[in-house]
Amino acid sequence: MKQAQDIMFNIYNPVITYEHRAAYDMIVSQLQEIFPICNQGKCKALEVTDDPQKQKQINDLMEKVEFFSDSLINITKVFFDQLYRAKEGSSESISYSMAKIKIDMMERSLLERTCDVRWWALEKAFWQCIEVSNAAHDNKEGKSKTAGKTTQHSTHQQAIDLACTRLEDIRSSYTLYRDLVIVNAQGTVVASSNVDRKHLTLGLDVSDEAWFQRGLQTKDGTDYHVQDIAISKLEDQASLIYATAIRANGDENGEVIGVMGVLFDFQGECQIILDDYLPKGSEGDILDGWFSFFTNRQGKAICSSDQYFIPFGASPELPRSHRHLSKPGESQVSTGIFFGTRSLLVSYHSAGFNEYEGLGWTSHLVLPITAIFERVSDSKVFGITPKELMSSSLIPEQNRQTYQEIQRNKGDIQLISINGIVLATDLGKAGKSFMPIFDQITETGSSTTGKMELLLSEMSADMLQQNLQALTNLSQQAIELIDRNLFERAADVRWWSTDHVLWECLQSKDKKHLDTINKRLQIINASYTMYRDLVVADASGRIVANSKVENRDKLDGMSVADQYWFRQGMQMSKLVQFAAQDVCDSELENENTSLIYCSAVLENGQRSGKPVGVLGIMFDWENQAKPILADCLPRINNEVAHGGAAFYVNRERMVIATTDDTHFPINRVVPIPPENVNLKDGQTASGIFSANGRKYIIGSSGSSGYREYKGLGWTAHVVRAID
Amino acid sequence: MLYSIFHLGNNLIGVPIYTILEIVRSSKFHPVRGASEVIDGLINLRGKVVTVINTGIAFETHKVLISDESRIYIFKNNAELKELTDIDSDEDMSPDNIGLHVEKIEGVINVDKEELQPVPTNMAHPFYQHVVRRGEDFIIILKPSKAIILNSTETVKP
Repeated sequence: MKQAQDIMFNIYNPVITYEHRAAYDMIVSQLQEIFPICNQGKCKALEVTDDPQKQKQINDLMEKVEFFSDSLINITKVFFDQLYRAKEGSSESISYSMAKIKIDMMERSLLERTCDVRWWALEKAFWQCIEVSNAAHDNKEGKSKTAGKTTQHSTHQQAIDLACTRLEDIRSSYTLYRDLVIVNAQGTVVASSNVDRKHLTLGLDVSDEAWFQRGLQTKDGTDYHVQDIAISKLEDQASLIYATAIRANGDENGEVIGVMGVLFDFQGECQIILDDYLPKGSEGDILDGWFSFFTNRQGKAICSSDQYFIPFGASPELPRSHRHLSKPGESQVSTGIFFGTRSLLVSYHSAGFNEYEGLGWTSHLVLPITAIFERVSDSKVFGITPKELMSSSLIPEQNRQTYQEIQRNKGDIQLISINGIVLATDLGKAGKSFMPIFDQITETGSSTTGKMELLLSEMSADMLQQNLQALTNLSQQAIELIDRNLFERAADVRWWSTDHVLWECLQSKDKKHLDTINKRLQIINASYTMYRDLVVADASGRIVANSKVENRDKLDGMSVADQYWFRQGMQMSKLVQFAAQDVCDSELENENTSLIYCSAVLENGQRSGKPVGVLGIMFDWENQAKPILADCLPRINNEVAHGGAAFYVNRERMVIATTDDTHFPINRVVPIPPENVNLKDGQTASGIFSANGRKYIIGSSGSSGYREYKGLGWTAHVVRAID
Repeated sequence: MLYSIFHLGNNLIGVPIYTILEIVRSSKFHPVRGASEVIDGLINLRGKVVTVINTGIAFETHKVLISDESRIYIFKNNAELKELTDIDSDEDMSPDNIGLHVEKIEGVINVDKEELQPVPTNMAHPFYQHVVRRGEDFIIILKPSKAIILNSTETVKP
């Protein structure tokens, strides 16, 4: 039992709700009233009997009542303290995960950007454009006197047009970029993707910008530079630019001839991520007092959920301990005044993601203290009694002990009271005057403990709601992460299918060209870690090339004409189209589950036209999905909660990826409530269900897709055992 | 007259307060070798040895187990009952103190003589003395002197 001196609870603390203050006052004042009643009982004992043994018995009973009343007053304080601490602890833990989720989501996206820029910089159209541009520059300087000026100009313009077209194609496949630029060695922008701003960017001199200078210094094709949010001449808003060198002949170790810069739509992405999970009012506005924002190494805001209070470049008024987080994964939780409101402040310093170390950003979440303690208004009935809930693992051990102690004291007071009545009866008529005393003791005992039981049941219902909300947030995170990941796959397949090697070789029908596709696919796959194999089928549905050498003998010439992904691909006629075949057991690889994305290879590499074949890419599904799910497991003090698991379920309600192969295995239908599975476009649900002989609480979210990727109707589920 | 109420399955049973010596929490029993199943065992109450009967087995519901809510009614013995001067009782208690182990107790009720009704024939049971109506509930009034003789007999069937 907690000692009284450890108690932090203070009834005058402004966070204490009116209802709780009233309940506390009532319980304590009722218990205080028992002491004079007991004194009255002791005096009456002397009046009604001369028998010292009877007098002692009555005295003992009264003292016991005093003891238990005193004990109940202490328990009341401990109980309220625990009630508030439990809510505070639970809110802190949920807010911490929320702050972490947000920055993790951003870092995962930024890791993809580092792969993109390095791969795109090898594109033939770009290095050719720079070589032509550099030659034109040399001519201007009078270094070359060989070609006629008109021919040179025409070649130069064609190279620029082709480079711009390819940049535009990238941007239409990867819609999270605002612009992509090719800059020659002198720092002049020679090609750009944003048609609306081309007249402003082409010809711009960016030689004095850090991203360009650092891009020129990248050591080989595997190196890149990312410039933290800064002002660039390329845009009229702060830019996050990834840059890498463009090398002669697209050789990863070749001479540096220019720089490719890609401008990520940081603000757009951030806004989605920062606004997510924040509570909103009926008008859809984020509730007052709730803020989510990222700061850079210098502690300046780089994006926030409220530009009015925390604009770009501002230094939010956070305590020093929050501003000075520097170690990856370091966090700080405290309370303080934020824009005039007493708030819970949570900060998490990014640990980057995988090999991407990040830019030393910190995610902050601020919420009003009152939000922690307000009652859950729409408490649903999940078919669980307060008593069951009170003894479940959701309730911290010390709270359960308090509950048992209250129950015990309630029983003791009742026992003393009845024994007092027995004693008074034995005294005959004289004992009748004791009856009102014991009646009062019984009444006070059951009224106060009853009130406390009510509050305990309220607390357990709140804890249930908070935990369900936490699981729902985690399931939302799980579905959003996989949707974003699969969006990237959709972008990859659309872009790769435009590669000139693919359409040229498929159109030539020359066997020796097919080996060129094999090599090209090998290079692509070597640059990305998330694919098991890439295959190209010709228009008849025969596989003509693949990236994985070990599979080549098996796949070469295999017919995929009747496979869903191929049939979908052959129906496409535009560059922006793609399709995905839901997780299945495919004969293309020796794996339990395959997830295949496809896009048509269009004739002559046109943006729209007739397919000459289909590119299919086999996503390394289980190895990619499992770590995402593992990151979304419910945790208590960094340990996975008892019976915690996360899994994805497809339209057929089958588990397609899981963290718990024993209880929720792949290809099985889990008996989760129908309202948790029938979720559409970002809907969420929570509840309680039984499986594997245990009772679980569950949070579920339906896929809403991401940008052009519309999702495959999957749902994500995060569960935790409660018995 | 006052009655202390306890739960027996879905029924509420009343025991006359004057027959009770004390009510205590149930804890460990000392087993009695060879005793009937209805006997939970012995307890020591401030030097007195008390035989405890399990009401669940006695009334053929389910065995009462020791829990936070379970209690033992310790009944007065004959000598203690005779000491009561203001009570006109026809109860013939045991020469020893006998305990009744019950699942859960409720409060105390005051019942006027006129409220006591005979036990309906379809509910007749050797231990039942009267029936009292309280709101929607019926409370069966137990005749403790009958019930406590179980310490020397087998389970009594209705």
